[in-house]
Amino acid sequence: MLRTSSLHYRLQAACPCFATLSVCAFAIGAIAHTPAWAAGTLAGTNIENIATASFDTGSGTVDIQSNTSVILVDELLDVTVASTDPGDVTTTPGATGVSLTYRVTNNGNGPESFRLTANVANSGDDFDPVFGQIVIDTNNNGVYDAGVDTVYVAGTNDPLLQPDQSVNVFVLTNIPSTQTNGDRAGVSLLASAGTGTGAPGTTFAGAGEGGGDAVVGTTGADGDANGFIRVDAASVVLAKSATILDPFGGSNAVPGSIITYTLVATVGGTGTLNNLVINDPLPAGTSYVAGSLTLQAASLTDAADTDAGNFNGTRVSVTLGNVPSGETRTVTFQTRIQ
Amino acid sequence: MMKILSALIAFCLAVPAFSAPLELASEVFVERVQKRADGSTATVLEAPKLVVPGDQLVFVVRYKNASAQPASKLSVTNPIPRAVAFSGTADGTEIVSVDGGKNWGTLAQLKVPKADGAFRQALPSDVTHVKWNLNQTLAAGSAGKLVFRGVVR
Repeated sequence: MLRTSSLHYRLQAACPCFATLSVCAFAIGAIAHTPAWAAGTLAGTNIENIATASFDTGSGTVDIQSNTSVILVDELLDVTVASTDPGDVTTTPGATGVSLTYRVTNNGNGPESFRLTANVANSGDDFDPVFGQIVIDTNNNGVYDAGVDTVYVAGTNDPLLQPDQSVNVFVLTNIPSTQTNGDRAGVSLLASAGTGTGAPGTTFAGAGEGGGDAVVGTTGADGDANGFIRVDAASVVLAKSATILDPFGGSNAVPGSIITYTLVATVGGTGTLNNLVINDPLPAGTSYVAGSLTLQAASLTDAADTDAGNFNGTRVSVTLGNVPSGETRTVTFQTRIQ
Repeated sequence: MMKILSALIAFCLAVPAFSAPLELASEVFVERVQKRADGSTATVLEAPKLVVPGDQLVFVVRYKNASAQPASKLSVTNPIPRAVAFSGTADGTEIVSVDGGKNWGTLAQLKVPKADGAFRQALPSDVTHVKWNLNQTLAAGSAGKLVFRGVVR
């Protein structure tokens, strides 16, 4: 498609005014839009060029204009996909709806819809999660909201992105219950330009925005990125020990002896164990020593209040919250042998 | 618009019929690097069938004195289209403007205001107009061309 006018402009009696007038209208239109896109001049923009000249043939200065040469900017098809999770997404064996987050960006210069495909069977990892669904971040908050964000159906709601526009996409997968601690899985999301993909420079005649052609850019008009899931079976080991102090300074279990119990919770594996709570019922034949409960050597009140621990008459309870692996929490309390 | 229209009519009327002593033509080409079979590359100019951001454009302005009289004081001006970043001329004899044609000079002489009120050296991409003042007389029937380059923004 040759878009350069090859007409030489000549000043003749036959109505040059109209020719000049249309030239001016073009020029005004060209000034109106300033390309401010990272993706470049928008597809469908006409680049119009006119030269003017002045000269003197002895009877005064004469001004003339050239023809307008016009180029229509074609549509460049480019897309990038990035994983936007800050690191591996941790999960547990048998978990369902594990969400990985990606950002799809239209780097082309025309509006384009993109076909999305998720791949759970990648090489170089430990297992393949079971694909659930692709979800578009409809409310654009970067977090998967079940029932709010729209489930993607290929060919039905392919996201239409303006030049430079991005959309967050979630890939939900299920984890086989047989996976063990530390297993890692890569899940990739592929986005392909709806117009077509191919080697850079591949052209789709007439398929560009604004009537021009569409041409595949350096990205090949598709892009993909890997997100990673890591099975994180954090575990806790609770060790309980007791020391006895009898009323005579010895360590005999006799009525009146004080038993000091020490509970050490050690979180192993990888990741974090969430909402960890230690409950310990009082042994029969003992009575609780009021005010004896401690966490990490700091005293806790017996009442159920803002601090982490309480004694309710039959058991002590200490809320440890989220404990990263490799850390320990030590709880102590005392009872008196009746 | 009426003002422009009447100005154009006045301009048209001011030019006598059949006195087109100078012909001026604008052409655009796309510069492409082609790989030869032996692996070397060649730069070729193509008609702009397919143009995308980042493409190198070559603008050619041809002039010809079609009259029987010599023409003097020939000056050719080409505003740079907004979607094109000027990158230079073939001969370097041009003067340019970076402010829409108000001030002219070589690129090295021009400055561009920054947001903080200070000035910085003008860059080729700042150029809004390019102009050649040809100081020689153009004999009857003689012709020439002026070439500049740009990149599609």
